[in-house]
Amino acid sequence: MNRIAQGLTLVLLGAAALTSTVPTDLYLNWVKAGFGPFLIAAGVVMVVLGVLVIASELRGERHDAEEADEGPEHAEHHEGHGHDHARAPRVAWLLLLPVIAVFVVAPPALGAYTVESTGASSGPPPRTERSTSSPFGDGLEEAGPNEVTRLAIREFVLRAWIDEERELAGRRVELVGFAVPEEEGGDGWYLARLQMSCCAADAVVNKVLITDRPAPETDTWWRVRGTWVEPEGDLYDVSRHEFSIDEMEEVTDPPDPYE
Amino acid sequence: MSERTTHDSAPSSSLGDSIAVGWDDRGDELPPADWGRRAGSRRTGTVWLFALLITAMAFGHAWLSDELTGPAFLAWATIFTAISFQALPFLVFGVALSAALVAFVPTSFYRRFIPSSPSRAVPVAGVSGALLPGCECASVPIAGSLISRGVAPAAALTFLLAAPAINPIVMIATAVAFAGQPEMVLARFVASLLASVVIGWIWVRFGRADWLRLPSRPTTPGASKWRVFRESMLHDIMHAGGYLVVGAVAAATLNVMVPREWLLTVAGMPIVSVLVLALLAILLSICSEADAFVAVSLTDFSPTAKLAFMVIGPIVDLKLIAMQAGVFGWRFVARFIPLCLVVGLASTFLIGGVLL
Repeated sequence: MNRIAQGLTLVLLGAAALTSTVPTDLYLNWVKAGFGPFLIAAGVVMVVLGVLVIASELRGERHDAEEADEGPEHAEHHEGHGHDHARAPRVAWLLLLPVIAVFVVAPPALGAYTVESTGASSGPPPRTERSTSSPFGDGLEEAGPNEVTRLAIREFVLRAWIDEERELAGRRVELVGFAVPEEEGGDGWYLARLQMSCCAADAVVNKVLITDRPAPETDTWWRVRGTWVEPEGDLYDVSRHEFSIDEMEEVTDPPDPYE
Repeated sequence: MSERTTHDSAPSSSLGDSIAVGWDDRGDELPPADWGRRAGSRRTGTVWLFALLITAMAFGHAWLSDELTGPAFLAWATIFTAISFQALPFLVFGVALSAALVAFVPTSFYRRFIPSSPSRAVPVAGVSGALLPGCECASVPIAGSLISRGVAPAAALTFLLAAPAINPIVMIATAVAFAGQPEMVLARFVASLLASVVIGWIWVRFGRADWLRLPSRPTTPGASKWRVFRESMLHDIMHAGGYLVVGAVAAATLNVMVPREWLLTVAGMPIVSVLVLALLAILLSICSEADAFVAVSLTDFSPTAKLAFMVIGPIVDLKLIAMQAGVFGWRFVARFIPLCLVVGLASTFLIGGVLL
């Protein structure tokens, strides 16, 4: 990989980082919103560095640097990679792979496929040790009894799972998520949302089961209003949290697909 | 900054102009008669190659994006891009910091700050890992530049292990994830620091210099500090970045291919579950700033198993193995990674047994 190639690779990689953050919100499909400024900064640094490298190369600055590099180059010959005056190992070409991923594939947010392949196992941590007054912080207590409370699916599931006070019972809540068919031809579907703490690789599934409406098309987004179907017995043993819908409307994908 | 960096250029035109002019000038050097013989025509070839690539990407985007709809492929692409882009800022700023260490901090500074005896330098390096925020992707190039600045390799390696594991951001993230369980935060700090320092000491005792391919740097005598800075950054991004992509590919593939249910069936077995979560940490290659949130979501596992996930993840994972191979060579990785794994697990069992 010669220096022009290295410089151009850096410019393209920086451009990919900037394209997915500045003119579009593409980056929200992959990482937390908080990463945006860092990605922009990293993109700017890479573009500037790439341009400086190309500029220095075109001015012929390299030729006086070449002799000084004979030592390190020799070591690379020994390792078997790096040829001629190439100054970066061949593996550096792989830096173009994220560029291609962004510009050609533009990967969408994780959706129903991930929910289905993750199965029913994941859920929020049952922090039963913590019996402080309100570990939820979802504003359900503050809202009036007849108001519709907007909850993240994560908050709803947490309530449904560990709230021994059963504050959720009888309350109208609003949830936003995407539709996932129930596995093995079950009688319902799931409204699901992925929770991300850093990037899509650590996404955790939260979902509620819906049985009183026909399943909409997979991966379509819905805003639903309704109530929690209160289960019998110990909440902690419940693995599927059921939701009864009063009204539902389709929404275009929310700008940030993760919770 | 750009003014100083380009001080040796003709100051008349702006940077963009000089590049554009440069490209135009090379345009007529294409004749294939001297193809590959002169640097100029090779450069032109490279420019053409990239022009071709950009065109291909434009067509690919227009034609293929309707074809690429396989859900498994898209999930893979999303996770690959996510890992790459999450690591990118850390890589860039880690590389910038390490290049700044090379270009602007005189060697004498390290001699004053870090004890000359390696066995005393190791704990100092371990504790200083607790001060500098940075993740795995940043610490590999930083450790490389510390070694090439004359810091004892064992101390630099201890820093490499400790910095991503116990830095302030990671400790805060762990405290947030394990709210109400301060013992988990303490256990993570102690176990990671212990493992890093012990690995450093073992390296002092048994490590051999020729296992480590010392990072080679383009240092031109008499070059300006900014030029050294630029060249070091370029060198490090190209070496560490390529392997970061390798790690991201591997981690994304495993993330999509390995069903999580397999893991949950073993959660009940006491020692096996610890080993399984350690293995999971290696395979998933999650950034150390995020791994606490993943650990806390693995509710079926014992606290010691979760601790193993958080202790092993920052010191051994696919992304890190690939990056270390890029900076230090495979001979090093073949010895260092098993050492980290064994010491990390021993430290996990010890601290987990005492504190959790």
